[in-house]
Amino acid sequence: MSDAIADAMAAVSARVLDRAADWDLAGEIPPSLLRELGDMGLLCAEVPAAFGGLGMTSAVSGELTAHAGSLCSSLRSVMTSQGMAAWTILRLGGLAQRRELLPRLTGGELAAVGFSERDAGSDVATMSTLIRRDGDDVVVDGAKVWMTAAGYADLLVVFGRFGDDAAAVVVPANAPGVRIERVRDPLGCRAAGHANVLLDSVRLPAGHLLGGGGQSLQLLVTTALSYGRMSVAWGCVGILRACLAAASAHAKTRQQFGKTLGEHQLVARHLADLLIAEQSATRACEHASKCWDDGSSDVVMATVLAKHLSATSAAAGASTAVQVLASAGAQDGHVVARAYRDAKLMEIIEGSNEICQLVLAQHALTLA
Amino acid sequence: MTAEQDTRTVEETLLGFLEVKTKAKVGLDQDLFASGLVTSMFAMQLVVHLESEYGVAIVGSDLKLDNFRTVTTMAALVRRLRDESAVTEGV
Ligand SMILES: Cc1cc2nc3c(=O)[nH]c(=O)nc-3n(C[C@H](O)[C@H](O)[C@H](O)COP(=O)(O)OP(=O)(O)OC[C@H]3O[C@@H](n4cnc5c(N)ncnc54)[C@H](O)[C@@H]3O)c2cc1C
Repeated sequence: MSDAIADAMAAVSARVLDRAADWDLAGEIPPSLLRELGDMGLLCAEVPAAFGGLGMTSAVSGELTAHAGSLCSSLRSVMTSQGMAAWTILRLGGLAQRRELLPRLTGGELAAVGFSERDAGSDVATMSTLIRRDGDDVVVDGAKVWMTAAGYADLLVVFGRFGDDAAAVVVPANAPGVRIERVRDPLGCRAAGHANVLLDSVRLPAGHLLGGGGQSLQLLVTTALSYGRMSVAWGCVGILRACLAAASAHAKTRQQFGKTLGEHQLVARHLADLLIAEQSATRACEHASKCWDDGSSDVVMATVLAKHLSATSAAAGASTAVQVLASAGAQDGHVVARAYRDAKLMEIIEGSNEICQLVLAQHALTLA
Repeated sequence: MTAEQDTRTVEETLLGFLEVKTKAKVGLDQDLFASGLVTSMFAMQLVVHLESEYGVAIVGSDLKLDNFRTVTTMAALVRRLRDESAVTEGV
């Protein structure tokens, strides 16, 4: 492992320490800690050096994401949002916008991304947020739901309709007309700062419109989600690593019926299942990241496949880990208890299980 | 090679790529979206393919479905982006 990734992982570990359980119970990560990690470029590590970032490849950044995910899925969720915001700005923004905004995202400011609305979840193309030009300004009206990290964010990347097309606009969280309401008591990733965001005639200089607007909604969403899916997939690998470690350590020492749990074959099978899940999810993510780094068009399907495999494996694996730990892991805050709640939500976001299956099935039919 | 020949080569390569990826024969000016061959996921594959194959960056306002509607429009996009980068790089 190179020094850069080892240093990055150590920097994350040194800040999380054993505090993830407390953050989960409190529903909050200290914002100063997030800003500190952000200022080191660690929340969106793939931003090119030319824009102040660490310029990590997808493969290396993936390992960092998995590491964060093994410690705290709330922190990893904040990374996913920050990375998705940075990627959206990199892909959609003009050069001046990239030069202005990306160094802010690697300089301690925090960002969230909003597609989903109350009536536009899986069917995101039906979103009704309106972005319109008004002279030298742009005006945004709409209501986004469940924006990860919006509770901490300085910048909100908001997607909406723009005439017959679509656009993404960068909205400062403190702009007049923006109201951010925390989602209370989320099932999992409890400290990720999920919030519903109301945008009431938010007026901004037109320079906040990424790339001038007027892009295809489908392509905008697919572009942003491609990063988000990769990040969630690696985050789920982290969940599996944490579950495998906790279950194996417990099964090795805890004794019942005169021998360790690991010596009971039915328990041993759980450990085998966890190892298989962790390894296969890792391989799928490595492959998708390689496609990403190589610029292969196979990246699109490889990413959906990795996300789906990792999320379903993490949800099943976390359930298995709770089974092995039993009462020892049955308390909120415990690593496997968090994994159990956090992993379930990974089957819902960035393309639910069903949506991923539809995409993969369509791909199979196309190849037939 | 003239710019025109260049564009023709891009078109031919694209037709080959589409045939492999969609298992269907397509025409130069066939509307790929109307014929249901191309979904937004596949349009994303086309973006990545054109970028790595021709060393262009399809970003910002070029992320319009219309640019990917036919083989002809894609080849024209590649040609324009190559011309633009040639200008900015002064080559
Ligand atoms: C923890 C968390 C974090 C989130 N973070 C963000 C964020 O940062 N930004 C953001 O914009 N949004 C975010 N979301 C919202 C998320 O994107 C949506 O929850 C997701 O798109 C699903 O939409 P929905 O919840 O409205 O479910 P629905 O779309 O109502 O779906 C309900 C169920 O029906 C299934 N279903 C729907 N359509 C079909 C179909 N055609 N075929 C088969 N099954 C179908 C779904 O898979 C699901 O199981 C977050 C959500 C959660 C839970």
